[in-house]
Amino acid sequence: MSLHKARIKAFEEILDQDVIDMQQLQKLAFNGIPDDKGLRSLVWKILLHYLPQEKNARETTLIKKRQLYKQFIEEIIVSPGGPTDHPLNMSPDSSWSTYFKDNEVLLQIDKDVRRLCPDISFFQSATEFPCPEVVNSNGIKRLHKRVEQSVLKYATLERRGLGVAKLSNEIKRAENITSGDYAPLNEGCEAHWEVVERMLFLYAKLNPGQGYVQGMNEIIGPIYHTFAIDADKEFRQHAEADCFFCFTNLMAEIRDFFIRTLDEAESGINYMMCKLNEFLKRHDPDVWTLLEKQELRPQYYSFRWLTLLLSQEFSLPDVERIWDTLFADSQRFDFLINICCAMILLVRDNLLGGDFASNVKLLQNFPPMDVSLILNKAATLGNT
Amino acid sequence: MAKKTYDLLFKLLLIGDSGVGKTCILFRFSDNHFTTTFISTIGIDFKIKTVELRGKKIKLQIWDTAGQERFHTITTSYYRGAMGIMLVYDITNEKTFDDIVKWLRNIDEHANEDVEKMILGNKCDMEEKRVVSKERGEAIAREHGIRFMETSAKANINIDRAFSELAEAILDKTAGREADADHSRIAVERRPSRAPPSRACCT
Repeated sequence: MSLHKARIKAFEEILDQDVIDMQQLQKLAFNGIPDDKGLRSLVWKILLHYLPQEKNARETTLIKKRQLYKQFIEEIIVSPGGPTDHPLNMSPDSSWSTYFKDNEVLLQIDKDVRRLCPDISFFQSATEFPCPEVVNSNGIKRLHKRVEQSVLKYATLERRGLGVAKLSNEIKRAENITSGDYAPLNEGCEAHWEVVERMLFLYAKLNPGQGYVQGMNEIIGPIYHTFAIDADKEFRQHAEADCFFCFTNLMAEIRDFFIRTLDEAESGINYMMCKLNEFLKRHDPDVWTLLEKQELRPQYYSFRWLTLLLSQEFSLPDVERIWDTLFADSQRFDFLINICCAMILLVRDNLLGGDFASNVKLLQNFPPMDVSLILNKAATLGNT
Repeated sequence: MAKKTYDLLFKLLLIGDSGVGKTCILFRFSDNHFTTTFISTIGIDFKIKTVELRGKKIKLQIWDTAGQERFHTITTSYYRGAMGIMLVYDITNEKTFDDIVKWLRNIDEHANEDVEKMILGNKCDMEEKRVVSKERGEAIAREHGIRFMETSAKANINIDRAFSELAEAILDKTAGREADADHSRIAVERRPSRAPPSRACCT
């Protein structure tokens, strides 16, 4: 039996346990989950505490959660009733004011989901399982319709003799503001980016204290992609609902990175950046000293690395491989620090010979590299 | 240490609402390309380009920032070191224009007092979707005594010009400062005969 087949079998055996031994699963997933048979999709659902360890409780959880998600869509997107009071109502909690505020959030989400993973065509392509209530609504339930800009064109009035006037150019409605290939699809169809837009909007509505912050699209993207290409049809069909709850669970662990007022807190992003910086100092004082001397601050590169769990630094398959390890880390997200530090150590020679500008460039555009090299290096660095 | 390949180093900063085209402007300027396939900027990004002005090699170190509020603590820390700031809005999006005032306040709070500013109304190739007239852009710039230009990263309109005008304004200032105190390490050739560039808006 090949090594690869043996790994698949090992995963299948664990997943078949009546009550999954989490430590065993984490240990196995830490070294990567095979792409085959929807294994990654299933294991992530368990590691992110969406599916229970008990095998026979999984089905019930799925039914319950998927039903709940359907209800969210119904209440928040399909029939929220719309604003009821006067649009000029000055009260801060008038339903129109909520509607306008929601649209601001939506506008930001709309800009970002149309910029999600542009190097692959997946998010621009149609989903097999569009949301029927939305795609068969004549466009009106589509979220991006709410924030689409339309411009009224004026036409020049040409006078020809007495009382005869004609419109010299037709009044036309400006076409969609859509750029590139992230065009909305026709009635009955829906692109994957539209699905992501809906999940993010629901998340923002259901978590008003946090709302939507740029970068969340880069967190939800890889999860949704993994679920939407599951080998199992039923899992593909419910990729949206399952992804929504997994994303929500993951955000519960990392949301402090996205909250400005918590930047200085122990769970906040500054603390993480300091931790990485200290870790680097311990493992490579030479590089650390040089970066310090060049005034190349950790936030120039590590803010994005840490906030987005490295999702903007590598190609999607590599990100998914890295996340296997991150999600399998029982001390989430300590190992992220190890990985980031390993990345710096692997380009140390370039850094030591570079000036400020070339070093910022190098760290902000990390060179393509075999991720197993990075992960192996990270594993040798010990605890943070 | 390698020999310096430039005479002066200017630090510039691009700010403005999300989606107005800051990254595209910078990419057009540094790589002379345009693409709509940009991921959103998280935190801060960085590019370098060396230009020649009045016989001087000037290295422009340009920082590109994320537009959303959340990133302001990260991005405003760059204001202090900036010698020039480009404030970008999108002529097809009213809100990005309204927010100019907010961004100007940010500059007042966080940047050096003598920082050179410039307002750019981007996407001026999209005339059919325009909602902010050029006159309104000019008016707000005049009101605050700031340079103004309409640009298009896509059609490559005024991009190079915007960067060189901003760099030139900084150069003038650097030269002026030198006249007062001669402690700068870098000698700047002065040409007193040259008329100072006009502060007027582009036409």
